[in-house]
Amino acid sequence: MAAGTKRLIAAALVLVACGAGLVSPAGADLTRSAPRLQSEKARIVSLVPALTEMFYAIGAGPQVVGVGSFDQFPPEVATLPRLGALLDPDTERILTLRPTLVGIYGSQTDLQAQLARAGIRAYVYRHGGIETIYRTMRELGTATAREPQAERLVRDLQARIATIRTRVRNRTKPKVLLVISRQPGTLREIYVSGGVGFLHEMLEIAGGRNVFADVARESAQPSQETILARAPDIVVEVHAEGMFKTSSVQNEKAVWAPLSSLPAVRNNRVHVLLGQHLVVPGPRFAGGAEALARTIHPAAFNR
Amino acid sequence: MTLSADRVSYSYAGPPKGGHYDGLNRAGHDASSEFALRDVSVTIAPRSLTGLLGPNGCGKTTLLKLMSGVLKPELGSVRLGQRELRGLSARAIAQQIAVVPQETHPAFDFTVLEMVLMGRHPHLGAFQLEGPDDLAIARESLAATGTAQLAHRSYTTLSGGEKQRVVIASALAQKPTVLLLDEPTASLDLGYQLEIASLLKELNRERRVTMVLATHDLNLAASLCDTLVLLREGQVLMQGPTREVLTSATVKQLYGVIADVSFHERAGHITVIPVQRP
Amino acid sequence: MSPPSRLAASARQALAVDALERPARKPIRTRLAVTIAGFGALAVAAIALAPLVGSTHISLSRAFDRSIPFADNVDAQIFFVARLPRVLSGALVGAALAAAGVVFQALLRNPLATPFTLGVSAGASLGAMLVLIFGVSLSVGPFSTVPLASFAGAAVAAGIVYRLATPYRRAMSTAVLLLAGVTLNSFFSALIMFAQYFADFAQAYRASRWLMGDLDVGSYQPIIAAVPLVAIAFAVFAMLPSALNVLSLGPEAAATRGVDVVRAQRLAFFSASLATSAAVSLAGPIGFIGIVVPHLVRLLVGVDHRIVLPASALFGAAFLVACDLGARTLLAPVELPVGVLTAMIGGPFFLWLLVRKG
Repeated sequence: MAAGTKRLIAAALVLVACGAGLVSPAGADLTRSAPRLQSEKARIVSLVPALTEMFYAIGAGPQVVGVGSFDQFPPEVATLPRLGALLDPDTERILTLRPTLVGIYGSQTDLQAQLARAGIRAYVYRHGGIETIYRTMRELGTATAREPQAERLVRDLQARIATIRTRVRNRTKPKVLLVISRQPGTLREIYVSGGVGFLHEMLEIAGGRNVFADVARESAQPSQETILARAPDIVVEVHAEGMFKTSSVQNEKAVWAPLSSLPAVRNNRVHVLLGQHLVVPGPRFAGGAEALARTIHPAAFNR
Repeated sequence: MTLSADRVSYSYAGPPKGGHYDGLNRAGHDASSEFALRDVSVTIAPRSLTGLLGPNGCGKTTLLKLMSGVLKPELGSVRLGQRELRGLSARAIAQQIAVVPQETHPAFDFTVLEMVLMGRHPHLGAFQLEGPDDLAIARESLAATGTAQLAHRSYTTLSGGEKQRVVIASALAQKPTVLLLDEPTASLDLGYQLEIASLLKELNRERRVTMVLATHDLNLAASLCDTLVLLREGQVLMQGPTREVLTSATVKQLYGVIADVSFHERAGHITVIPVQRP
Repeated sequence: MSPPSRLAASARQALAVDALERPARKPIRTRLAVTIAGFGALAVAAIALAPLVGSTHISLSRAFDRSIPFADNVDAQIFFVARLPRVLSGALVGAALAAAGVVFQALLRNPLATPFTLGVSAGASLGAMLVLIFGVSLSVGPFSTVPLASFAGAAVAAGIVYRLATPYRRAMSTAVLLLAGVTLNSFFSALIMFAQYFADFAQAYRASRWLMGDLDVGSYQPIIAAVPLVAIAFAVFAMLPSALNVLSLGPEAAATRGVDVVRAQRLAFFSASLATSAAVSLAGPIGFIGIVVPHLVRLLVGVDHRIVLPASALFGAAFLVACDLGARTLLAPVELPVGVLTAMIGGPFFLWLLVRKG
């Protein structure tokens, strides 16, 4: 089922639940156990793209009043005020919006202290694997009193992941080089996913074997020599939309041609995938895993 | 060859925007403040030892630089023989004229021999390395200045007097017909001053090299030079043989000081002794 | 003391000290020939041996076995596609930066000058940053986007510094040159930080990585693009050494020894900027080569630029190839950026130099 449809269903469920008085649209303030006022509304700010997507996915979208500079999804965020990101959070503006909950990065300790002084609750984002994504969603559900929605979201995602696993089960796992960054137009400064993190896990779910699974880090920069030595069967590049202009995707694939001894190049299995669902560890990651699975095992999806 | 400056004028500020000088006096401008030298004509007789004498700021260093071709006059011309320096390349000039500045500070740790061999630069082609002839000239220049034993020493480790002698040797290695020196003994103490002075006199006599010396040291000029050019505020006060030019009257005009100018028997030359402040 | 006895005294002193000083030197032709032969052999050895070593074990017989099609021969690909271009660009960049260092030091009359002192590298970095951050794509022939942009940035920086430092009629003032270069460095560095501030993570990371320097070119294209530029620079370098010697005495002292100072300064500035721009465009700003190598070479062969310049170029090539070899093998399979290794060698070397002088 498409992600958009699911969201629609989730939103509908929330509305029904609201109507039935089961869930109050007002956000619960967990720091004080004061009686909830009907007019008190939760006001959410999120500087982290993954958190922003999660807020919307669990139905807290209407409460979001400000987002980070690099947030792109869902489209509703285009009209919201931009409040900076990791390096340049606009503390003043954030405070002016009178938020009740602010999603921030773990390293933004100054901002966290300022929010604490202002009595504003902060949710500190932690980067990690897929389990971390689920946990984050559940925690956001708690923070916005939308635990059922969050739980539903997690279950949906788990179901989708399980479906993918089923489809690619019993197929031989090819060696995959998962490229997350490089200099456009050349093969210089290639960064790949190591054996840790959500990209690596997505690759495994998609039925691939990470050639750099032995690297105990989220990313690594291997030399051309190392790539040649590891001889991946498939090369998959995952980038955000803006990385290459779509018209030059063909050119970017051709960049791999000099490494002709790679099975991936010989068998024309170099793929360039663009899209935020591939690089943001948020509610759309299942779509990213699906895209990876279709790329690695196209035969498994021809039904 | 005769080195002469013919009605030269020079300004450190350069000509006014969009133009050049058309004469010293321009309407609405106080020309005197702009020029370091104004309408100066000096002729250096071959093989003479001429002194450019005057107080600080009189323009003697400027005149020396004009004569070496480093600076180009705004007005007038400097000639070597018949040829204007302006029309000659730095290389061509350096084959005839060598300069000994007041101080030389190489940026790198050259040896004395390397310093002296640099004097051969104007005679070598672009890709040419010095040959045995050049080395012979260098060694001979070192010997002439009494610095042969310092050949492989680092220049920066030498004493003031030794350094100046090496620089003179470097200038000699250029085999110049004219040697220009800018305050060659100003930063040296008395013993070295006498040393350099006698060396210069010897070189002028034996090698018949024309020498022009810019100095503010009256007694040095009096002891060494056979011809003097007195400069004040960018203009020539007087020029001619030393004993005619250097008198109490001219010293008073130049420095505003009453001095006793007389021939000193024991020293063997004119001496200038200031006796009264202005 | 009368002059003759003073002379005698200093002669005695000189003889006494002479034992501690350098021994009498052979003529320059011999020294030049010996130096070039020695450093040349070192460079050739480094270039020949470095591709044989790497983080992966390969079979050389297989690599050179022509019967195996190239597309199937992993060993050959590792040797000819991964390692050899890397070694060749290391040699090219090392030679260019070391020689440019020598020329800039002579031009600025300061042994502490580097090819990056006058802002050329900052300009190159800004050019590269802008295209990396704004995702522009503008390749022309063998010149791909980032090298082209960084070369343009370097050219702009060099042009600005040159205009600022060339006063009316007179030779370049080294003081103004230095000041203009340092100012431009600061200004461009600030612009780089500004650009990075507005980049997203991926872009900022790519930009930072470029700044660390990288020789892993993976193809011969960028080298082919850089070679003509470096060749022109070196052709001009060949004309400069004796002028550089004299120039280091100061512009007036040089003029009176027959050097066309304006022309020599111009040639030195542009050729050294060209070599630096080409090197930085190819491999990013790799520091310390332009200052460690000339100093090491001077310790070994003296300060005559006619020997120091070619020797530094050759030693620079060998040095960078060796550093890159270390960078890609010491912590295999993890690679150190080569600029980190040159800094780790260069920093302590300088401390030692300072201690020695003091």
